[in-house]
Amino acid sequence: MPLIEVIDVSKEYANGEETIRPLDGVSLSIEEGDYVSLMGASGSGKSTLLNLIAGIDQATAGKIIVAGTDITRLSRGKLADWRAANIGYVFQTHNLIPVLTAYENVELPLLLLPMSASERRKRVAIAMEAVDLTSRAKHYPRQMSGGQEQRVGIARAIVSNPTVVVADEPTGSLDDETTEQILQLLSRVNEELDMTLLMVTHDADAGERARRRIRLERGRLMENGKELQTAKLHTA
Amino acid sequence: MLKFIPYVFKSLWRHRARTLLTVSGTAVALLVFCFIGAVQQGMLALTSGDDAGRTLIVFQENRFCPQSSRLPQDYESTIAKLPGVQEVVPVKVFTNNCRASLDAIVFQGLPPEKLKAWRDIDLQSGNWSAFSDQDDAALVGIDVATRRGLSVGDKFTIGDVSVVVQGVFKSPSAAENNLIFTQLEFLQRARGANDVGTVTMLEVHLNDTADPEALAKQIDQAFHAGPVGTTTRTKGMFQADTLADLAELIGFVHWLGYACVGLVLSLVATTTVMSVQDRIKEHAVLQTLGLRPLRVFGLVLTESLLLSTIGGILGVAGSVLLLSSTGMSIAAEGVTIAFEPSLPLAMQGVVVSVVVGLLAGLAPGWHASRTEIVSALRHA
Repeated sequence: MPLIEVIDVSKEYANGEETIRPLDGVSLSIEEGDYVSLMGASGSGKSTLLNLIAGIDQATAGKIIVAGTDITRLSRGKLADWRAANIGYVFQTHNLIPVLTAYENVELPLLLLPMSASERRKRVAIAMEAVDLTSRAKHYPRQMSGGQEQRVGIARAIVSNPTVVVADEPTGSLDDETTEQILQLLSRVNEELDMTLLMVTHDADAGERARRRIRLERGRLMENGKELQTAKLHTA
Repeated sequence: MLKFIPYVFKSLWRHRARTLLTVSGTAVALLVFCFIGAVQQGMLALTSGDDAGRTLIVFQENRFCPQSSRLPQDYESTIAKLPGVQEVVPVKVFTNNCRASLDAIVFQGLPPEKLKAWRDIDLQSGNWSAFSDQDDAALVGIDVATRRGLSVGDKFTIGDVSVVVQGVFKSPSAAENNLIFTQLEFLQRARGANDVGTVTMLEVHLNDTADPEALAKQIDQAFHAGPVGTTTRTKGMFQADTLADLAELIGFVHWLGYACVGLVLSLVATTTVMSVQDRIKEHAVLQTLGLRPLRVFGLVLTESLLLSTIGGILGVAGSVLLLSSTGMSIAAEGVTIAFEPSLPLAMQGVVVSVVVGLLAGLAPGWHASRTEIVSALRHA
């Protein structure tokens, strides 16, 4: 059974009097341990799909099942709990909390889980080591470079050992050298930590690093030149 | 939620200028609130104390300022014979200012033995025998002594009345801590006057069975045809009538107290709204990480609560310190209202700041918790 099942999902929103429909009945399956890149032109809906899978946006129609949970049926509060336990989110602009140190930023998701302080310390230490930033633990975001901030962001995403790590343009604001470091780090997250990784990118080179490369074109998902077809949602 | 308290403190510290301004504004408003409360409390204590209803004050008819009331002292013996009267205390009053003043000095001259028997005062320094033995001796209330820097052995003159301090006393009645007691005869002869045989007022202490109103009428009736007519009221009513103008002003001033609460509410709410607007994206990130909307609401509420409560506690502490160290009071026509800090008033101030903090955080907290994550993440 796939880890993630996106079934016949549509998303529309109003922009003034116009209704925009970035996703129109798309379906997708992702297996556990996959590394999937999602590419497409600006405004094609790739970030929208990522946000729907991450549970921070609501689909207009369809179902999204992650590790057996239909997240489209969860209330806001339950969805937040679900995200805390299952999703690691890497943002394009890092989005670290400026008043917290690197260590505290990484520890933040663990504060939402039932966990002892010693267990939290252990996990943060492992995550900081994984991104090679142990020496920067007490630094604030303003004291770090963009690449270091993004590595802290990745440590924050993996620290709770989530079901899925989603990354929205994780190299979008970085120079070439740092981009390479971050892409290598994400590959390690997938291969060494065996985490399922879904990455949105507009950078073809970055997309090539993934094992599966999916494109969003005119609201449809394409893989290897063919539209992805999975079981359609049956409504009574 | 407690795990996020350091984050809340750090967020407040991040905008320390804004935080300090809000806290200090709240502190000043709560200081004023408590100050007004202390004035009202002082007024209430005068008109509703234990002896306010069981003691009668006999004053010269149609006289208000103590300087102008001159009752024959022998009225004392006539009143003492009336049934229900336990004791009559003749009192001569002198004040350096009959009008409302923050630094009016009020002397009360009483026979020493009656002063000792009918005033619940506790000497902090000096002794009774030195007071009784010396003609120009004075017992000074602790608040006057603090305000004027007086101690035993000091000689001072106010409005041509020169006395030597032979004791500093403390009374459970805050108003009395602002009085200076002398011997009756000394005050009758003070300033070169010869007022022996006249007093400003007679204080009539009743026994438990007496009806104050009926007795007051009886007293006024007895002297109706005499050389000097009298007006007799309970002590509470006398003080309320004497301070009527001030009471009206104090009644109006309590609205300023409510205005202070409103000010704190708007100040803390403004700061909290600004803080939420500054951190729309940050709250969206926290929600992405898995913070429930209710917890975001709680974080904002905690921030607002901390701002208001810290400011409130500082303001309350400041007012208690100010009032207790300065012993401030206001007097009019020889009656003194003491601005007295008290534990219930301090508690009231803290509770007000807590409630205001909660109220101020409600709307911004709700707004922060209802923000759509995706659109907030796009927020610059």
